Amino acid sequence: MKNRILSWLDERLGWAGITNFLTKKTVPLHKHTIWYYTGSAILLFFVIQVVTGFMLILYYKPTLEMANASVARIMTEIPLGWIIRSVHSWSASFMIALVFVHLLSIWITKSYRKPRELTWMSGAMLMLVSLFFGFTGYLLPWDDLSFSATKVGTDIPRAIPVVGAWATQLLRGGEDVTGDTLTRFFGIHVCILPIFLIILLAVHIYLVQKQGMSLPLEAEGQQEKAREIPFWPNFVFREMVVWLILVGILFSIALFFPPSLEKPADVMAPAPEGIKPEWYFLFLFQTLKIFPAHILFVTGETLAVLLILLAVVWFFFLPLFDNKPAGTRGKIVTLLAYVFVLYALIMSVWSLL
Amino acid sequence: MKIRHSLFSRRQFLNGVLGGWLGAFLASLVYPVVRFIFPPYQEPDEVILPFSDFRDMPPNSVKSFAWGSKLGLIKKNEDETYVAFVGVCTHLDCNVTYLPEQKKFFCACHDGWYDENGVNIAGPPPSPLRQLTLIIAEEDLIIKKESPEEVL
Amino acid sequence: MIRLRPFFLTIGFLVFLLIAWAGNTYCSAQLTETQGQLKTFQEEKEPEKIVGAPQDVKQRTGIWVFFIWMWISIIVLVFFLRLKIKEVDRLNALRFFSAEKK
Repeated sequence: MKNRILSWLDERLGWAGITNFLTKKTVPLHKHTIWYYTGSAILLFFVIQVVTGFMLILYYKPTLEMANASVARIMTEIPLGWIIRSVHSWSASFMIALVFVHLLSIWITKSYRKPRELTWMSGAMLMLVSLFFGFTGYLLPWDDLSFSATKVGTDIPRAIPVVGAWATQLLRGGEDVTGDTLTRFFGIHVCILPIFLIILLAVHIYLVQKQGMSLPLEAEGQQEKAREIPFWPNFVFREMVVWLILVGILFSIALFFPPSLEKPADVMAPAPEGIKPEWYFLFLFQTLKIFPAHILFVTGETLAVLLILLAVVWFFFLPLFDNKPAGTRGKIVTLLAYVFVLYALIMSVWSLL
Repeated sequence: MKIRHSLFSRRQFLNGVLGGWLGAFLASLVYPVVRFIFPPYQEPDEVILPFSDFRDMPPNSVKSFAWGSKLGLIKKNEDETYVAFVGVCTHLDCNVTYLPEQKKFFCACHDGWYDENGVNIAGPPPSPLRQLTLIIAEEDLIIKKESPEEVL
Repeated sequence: MIRLRPFFLTIGFLVFLLIAWAGNTYCSAQLTETQGQLKTFQEEKEPEKIVGAPQDVKQRTGIWVFFIWMWISIIVLVFFLRLKIKEVDRLNALRFFSAEKK
């Protein structure tokens, strides 16, 4: 019966090509195979975000007057609303953490080598989209902490010469963080970013399928001797084990450490103590803090922001920069990965002290 | 009676337990989703209004009040008694209005008519307007859900 | 050999009903509590902070019950999935599937 339905659909959709490809696809087995699990794990958490986001949007009201109250209602009045919000909040952190792990594994194994440069670039853009998701989502409860964090965060682009003020106004919907900022961030979070993410994800996943799974440098050239397992069902069953454990950890943390809600933001109040962004921005936050107020004729902030922008651009074009992975430059690039991790860790911890 | 052969193979058993348990696990995740999406709506058990707002109503007139999130209508009859209805048409949920000259409740959506006691007399409404229990207690007007016998 | 898929589906469905009934009892108890919490919330002046989780014993017990059920389920599912993985790997090594592909 199932086969009859499937072949009826195939006669009209012609998807036998895709199903054949998936049944024949193989995954190489080597000491770095474990990192192959990170991609689908990110997708798992993204799906969780979409589902919990769909539910939260049924009750959340994105206006200055109602934002905080609607989140309070979700947490107290709607059945199990607090769990949905908690899962959404924690899954965001899990997803971004996995994005970083995925990125580092690709960087260190140099999977971005030819012909996979575009996969890396679409991946870099996906990471920026994910971070922007986190940034816009953080404001939506509209409490003191998120309001202040957004004030700081949207003030940073102002330091960029020429386009800075314009960029800040674009983000804020005006000169200051107001109800317009909230509405704008909401629209970006639920409509604009999802569309970009789906397009980028389609490109990224298509490229991965078309080019096959990459092999680490050492194993290259020994394609025929590489051990491999079929994607379906062998690798997928293994992925399911990983998904189950990740979901278990996520729900355990979400059940026992749900986020609280502070009182609504007071636009006129001084910034609360202990203001800080989400953990994935802490190292950037600290980087800005350590620059002195003025260096020569530019503000410290301008210099810091320009350096960060330069780093992001270099990072985006990394595959083109590291075009001889086996050489000295290649080794330096690998070292830079570890340096970056150390830097981010030290800066993040420092910012909390 | 002992069966000679197994009813199912070990593979079938394991596949069945795996699929069944996975289904139960996913169902336990789906359940809170469903509860979240369909929050329970509860009508108020009673609504207390100041009688002073209704004391000076002219006879054969109607005043509205909030019955939860629905329209409630308090009608002062010609003999100075009060009666309370849920002012929602029993056909398709539109709010009704009272026409004093004709002594009828009227629903504009599909031309439904009720008489002065809320009984449906013309048009599509299948049943009378819901009548609520009304109690006058000194300075308060207490409106309660109709008792179970009255519903029948 | 009798096909027993409907049997397992029935068992699975009964398990689902059991969970749904238990969850419903828990949730309706919890609903009364949240309504109580909302009334308190509305009556007092806006509290400084709303904590993320329900505080009453009944709901907190419910949370623990779900937590334990979830981990038992995950352990059972992982156990069976690993059996399936071993099975499929063994079949693959025996070239069980490559014969079909040709």
